[in-house]
Amino acid sequence: MAINTEKLGIVLQNFVTATSDVQGAALVTPDGLPLAASLPGGMDEERVSAMSAAMLSLGERIGQELARGGVDRIYVEGDKGYGILTSCGEDAVLLVLADQKAKQGVLMLEIKRAVAEIKLILN
Amino acid sequence: MVLDPHDFMAKMADRISFTSEDRALLKSSASWGAEIAPDMADRFYSFLGRDEEMNAILNASEGRIHRLRETFVDWFAEMFTGMEDDWGTSYADRRWRIGLIHVRIGIGPQHVVPAMAVVVQAVGERLRAEGKSAALQDSLSKICMIDLAFIEQAYVEVTAAAVLKETGWTEGLFRRLITSGAGTM
Ligand code: HEM
Repeated sequence: MAINTEKLGIVLQNFVTATSDVQGAALVTPDGLPLAASLPGGMDEERVSAMSAAMLSLGERIGQELARGGVDRIYVEGDKGYGILTSCGEDAVLLVLADQKAKQGVLMLEIKRAVAEIKLILN
Repeated sequence: MVLDPHDFMAKMADRISFTSEDRALLKSSASWGAEIAPDMADRFYSFLGRDEEMNAILNASEGRIHRLRETFVDWFAEMFTGMEDDWGTSYADRRWRIGLIHVRIGIGPQHVVPAMAVVVQAVGERLRAEGKSAALQDSLSKICMIDLAFIEQAYVEVTAAAVLKETGWTEGLFRRLITSGAGTM
């Protein structure tokens, strides 16, 4: 069955607008192609997608090599905010960008919910 | 990603137009090829020896240079014979293996291309000195370019395959990163 990218776009859009301190999100394939994106202006969607897929895959390899088990998420903490990568099963990776004010616990919960919703659409 | 040597051989022969006439001409000169091979090896190794970096590689281990001289002589003669299967599977497998060996030692395009240029030039000089035909020179140049393509392709394939293995990246992702990275250079 074809993936409903329109629906994915709406879910992402809603997630970005409804979650406080979230600045953008993108859903990409393991090949680094964007499925849906709602990113801050000026960000190159194609590049961000490729980098996100690369980062998650590399993180998973690091998890294996360092015997950390399955990787739940990759966390990039910069002085201007966070970038969080979460696997949505075999077919997609979710990238979430949040500013430094974001409360991590709340953010993780919101991401978990969004991932569940995305997985439903993907399957 | 790692390539099928036989398919690659067929593709290169087609692209370079390495025809049955080329093959016949080379085979008919096989004994001449075997005769000049030691001289070609001398020219080849004196060229490599003049380059500091390549000289260091050649002398990195005891007896390497002697082993190499022998393998070069065989390699050179094989271009004329097609290794008894008419430049088929065993020829392709052997060329691929030669490529892999160079990748492992870290010998890249910057070393191999000038080295093959020396082979083409040295053989050209011998051909002219002995009044051999221009057609034979063409056929030899073609097979040299096919052999060069094998070594170069091995370099690209093995480098990429190693990155994919270590990172878990898909081939599509890897290509995308190269395209987007190259776009910013
Ligand atoms: C025209 C380009 C070249 C050809 C046709 C060629 C040919 C060969 C062949 C036939 C072998 C033996 C492979 C085997 O064991 O099955 C070999 C190995 C090797 N070649 Fe080359 N080669 C070329 C360029 C170079 C260059 C530029 C270098 C740089 C120094 C080099 C250094 C070596 C070394 C170090 C080995 C491995 C020797 C060992 O067994 O320890 N080759 N080459």
